[in-house]
Amino acid sequence: MANIAAQRIRREIKEVMKNEETAGASIKLELIDNRWTELKGEIGGPPDTPYQGGTFILEIKVPETYPFNPPKIRFLTKIWHPNVSSVTGAICLDILKDQWAAALTLRTVLLSIQALLAAAEPNDPQDAVVAKQYREDPHMFEMTAIHWTNVYAGGPTPVFEFNQKVRVLTEIGVNEQVARVALSTYHWDIERATEEIFSIYP
Amino acid sequence: MAETSEAQASASASAPGGDAGQEEEKHDERMLECNICLDTARDAVVSMCGHLFCWPCLHQWLETRPSRQVCPVCKAAISRDKVIPLYGRGNTKQEDPRNKVPPRPAGQRTEPENNSGFPGFGFGEGFHMSFGIGAFPFGIFTSTFNFGDPRPSAAPRGTAQYEEEQFLSKIFLWVAILFVLWLIFA
Ligand SMILES: [Zn+2]
Ligand SMILES: [Zn+2]
Repeated sequence: MANIAAQRIRREIKEVMKNEETAGASIKLELIDNRWTELKGEIGGPPDTPYQGGTFILEIKVPETYPFNPPKIRFLTKIWHPNVSSVTGAICLDILKDQWAAALTLRTVLLSIQALLAAAEPNDPQDAVVAKQYREDPHMFEMTAIHWTNVYAGGPTPVFEFNQKVRVLTEIGVNEQVARVALSTYHWDIERATEEIFSIYP
Repeated sequence: MAETSEAQASASASAPGGDAGQEEEKHDERMLECNICLDTARDAVVSMCGHLFCWPCLHQWLETRPSRQVCPVCKAAISRDKVIPLYGRGNTKQEDPRNKVPPRPAGQRTEPENNSGFPGFGFGEGFHMSFGIGAFPFGIFTSTFNFGDPRPSAAPRGTAQYEEEQFLSKIFLWVAILFVLWLIFA
């Protein structure tokens, strides 16, 4: 059955090339090491979202049993989104689990992930902390997501206040990523974040 | 659906090996592509919702999720018994693909070989007439007047084979009538 998987991946890459060149949608698909088992996906942040202008890289692992079972996909680019783990990049999306259908392709899956960025589902969260913020403090969520998009995905909008706060913590020796996660989690309250960091990493 | 109008036209891909010659695929051909392997459908079947698959591909999909049998395209309910095999022209066997692939251990129905008896008639494959020689006159009757039955192996209307069956059935009808006349008047 590996034959079907390899042949399909080859066709799908062609399909993405053909469609995206004409449609102008920001999706890319690349084989890694000329093996069909692992690919690199890339999606552009949808317009009118905090992810606009960012480029998000995805790790795609194709099982032997593809397309009868779904590909395993996670974000390699760090992202602040209720349905994506801010730590591991794991995605909570039904079609990657029990709603998978064999006629879905990597292209349609990447488009679905892109659509998920535009319409989060906070009631089915992957990252509880982000989802809580999304529900309870939408403005804080949006600014945090814009900040993460700027720092990790090459987004165009820097959030100076947040950059400043991260710098304060890195200057006292805190790892940058640790500082950013703690600050994002505690609504950019430096004292809360510092407290939390030094209780976890004494 | 997220529409990314301002995004740069970006698509890069690197395919291994070279089937560069097949780049120009015609749109028409895609109509006959299996929705699972994306290749031209072989042993094609179509679901009630109208979606085309290779039977081996669809069978494997149904086996992968026995508890959730849905169409891989539209997620309508689907099952082995609710797909229709497609026979194109030039496909002389007309064997139901569903009888070939499923490794169903018991109850598999195999079609009888047609080379028993009457080699001179030159029946086409798939022409299944069952009349017993032992009960000759009556056997002829039953086999002759049973043509209205919707047999599973009957050829689809409009095909060359269908025409042939119709023709042969008429011949047998006339033979039977002559036989009855002979019985009455002889
Ligand atoms: Zn197929
Ligand atoms: Zn369907």
